Amino acid sequence: MLDNQSPELPRPFRRLAAALPSWPLEMVLTRALRSLAERRPELFERLGVHSRCTFIVRPTDLDYAFSVVPHRWQGRVKLVLPETRGDVYIEGPLLSLLGLLDGTLDGDALFFNRVISVRGRTDALLALRNAIEEAELRPSDLLGVSGKAGQYTDAAVLRAIGMLQRIATRSQPSDTNPDTDDIPPHPAGA
Amino acid sequence: MALELVCPAGTPSALRAAVDAGAHAVYCGFADETNARNFPGLNFSPAEMIKGVQYAHDHGAKVLVAINTFPKADSFEPWAKGLAVAEEAKADAVILADMAVLDHAANKHPGLRLHLSVQAAANTPEAIGFYARTFGVKRVVMPRVLSVEEIAKLNAEIDVETEAFVFGGLCPMTEGRCALSSYATGRSPNLSGVCSPPEFVEYVEDAEGTTVKLAGFTIDRFGRDEAAGYPTLCKGSFNAGGKTCHLFEDPVSLNAASLLGRLAEAGVTAFKIEGRQRGKGYVAEVVRTFRAAVDALEAGRDPVEAERILAGLVEGGRQTSGAYRKQWR
Repeated sequence: MLDNQSPELPRPFRRLAAALPSWPLEMVLTRALRSLAERRPELFERLGVHSRCTFIVRPTDLDYAFSVVPHRWQGRVKLVLPETRGDVYIEGPLLSLLGLLDGTLDGDALFFNRVISVRGRTDALLALRNAIEEAELRPSDLLGVSGKAGQYTDAAVLRAIGMLQRIATRSQPSDTNPDTDDIPPHPAGA
Repeated sequence: MALELVCPAGTPSALRAAVDAGAHAVYCGFADETNARNFPGLNFSPAEMIKGVQYAHDHGAKVLVAINTFPKADSFEPWAKGLAVAEEAKADAVILADMAVLDHAANKHPGLRLHLSVQAAANTPEAIGFYARTFGVKRVVMPRVLSVEEIAKLNAEIDVETEAFVFGGLCPMTEGRCALSSYATGRSPNLSGVCSPPEFVEYVEDAEGTTVKLAGFTIDRFGRDEAAGYPTLCKGSFNAGGKTCHLFEDPVSLNAASLLGRLAEAGVTAFKIEGRQRGKGYVAEVVRTFRAAVDALEAGRDPVEAERILAGLVEGGRQTSGAYRKQWR
């Protein structure tokens, strides 16, 4: 259910995210993307001709967006202004976007419930969504850490995300998803 | 006969998620036009199919390979290759719609168990009897336009297994013969494997909400706080008779969890979950819920509250028992 799937990042964490220096983050994410392309080229085959597209991923609770060109070993990630031009736009709360990355949340369900919104080339968007679905990404993949250090990273980051989700959910107004349990008494097509 | 829960997988990871969540069988297809869910980045390569079947078998589940579109006049090869790979992968059955593909499978791959896809739109004892006699079809997937009573009547007159959709996207058309999207895009699910080819779909955001366009035609609008649906013409909003409404079908998901017992009594032996285009999160949660529902039914326990559990995953934020309980407006 989507009860707790669209909480926004609490204000102190937004401030913290805003203070992050952009170039080290861009460097880490770009290196992780290229390393993933080297280790699992079949994922990038799923993107087909869309790997050269520019995907603008905008967490609505942050002041910046990520521009991603997932073109295998030439892939790159940049931190950009939210209104930057691209081929595909995906917007939603950061924690929901992270849930899409690791496959715990379903993109269609988030779209149906208007937690995320999309624009631009729908074919490229679907190719990216399906490639990510197959990737089963862990935090260590995104940070380019492997082996034992990767396992510790995964455990620590997942714990931190879980904690953030709990804090964010607690600080949300209770009526953010008024329709979630609104099951009509009769078939909707009836 | 034991009830079988047949679950969707659009990627190898979704197949593993379905098996791990308790699927008795998983259905999936190849990444080409032989597959009625032919979306960019989705589906299986031959190597992935072989590994996927191995994973399912290792965990006690079956794999049914959907090769369920209709070949064009000049290109039978992808369908023939799909059947050969399905046999090599040791698939438990193939789900077919086209008569030439059925004939090829029956003659060249006699070891393959044949299921008749919903795309074949076989909904009379005569049609089903023909497919069973001519090609040795063992199971028929029921069109989503029949009531429980109609399925019971049909089952009394046929001697093949029946599989019925119990959750996910609805189709109000005669499947396999729907050309609605081809009016806008020139392509149809029957030949290209997609109702709305994504390269023709466009979402336009403005202050009032989202406008959905297909090949440049506006087919629906959703307000900012209004639940959305899939961008297909059958779920589009039209002006007719002085009203604007979802003329063919509302954006809504089928949920027949409360009808599993009645469907089993009607002779249905396999319950099918729609959604090969959906993510692992959907697959895992829906399969887990329906497996619990099937187990509860077989053990005579209280039914599972599937409508409540799955409310967050459904199209348009609404669920319906569809044609199974016919109460058309």
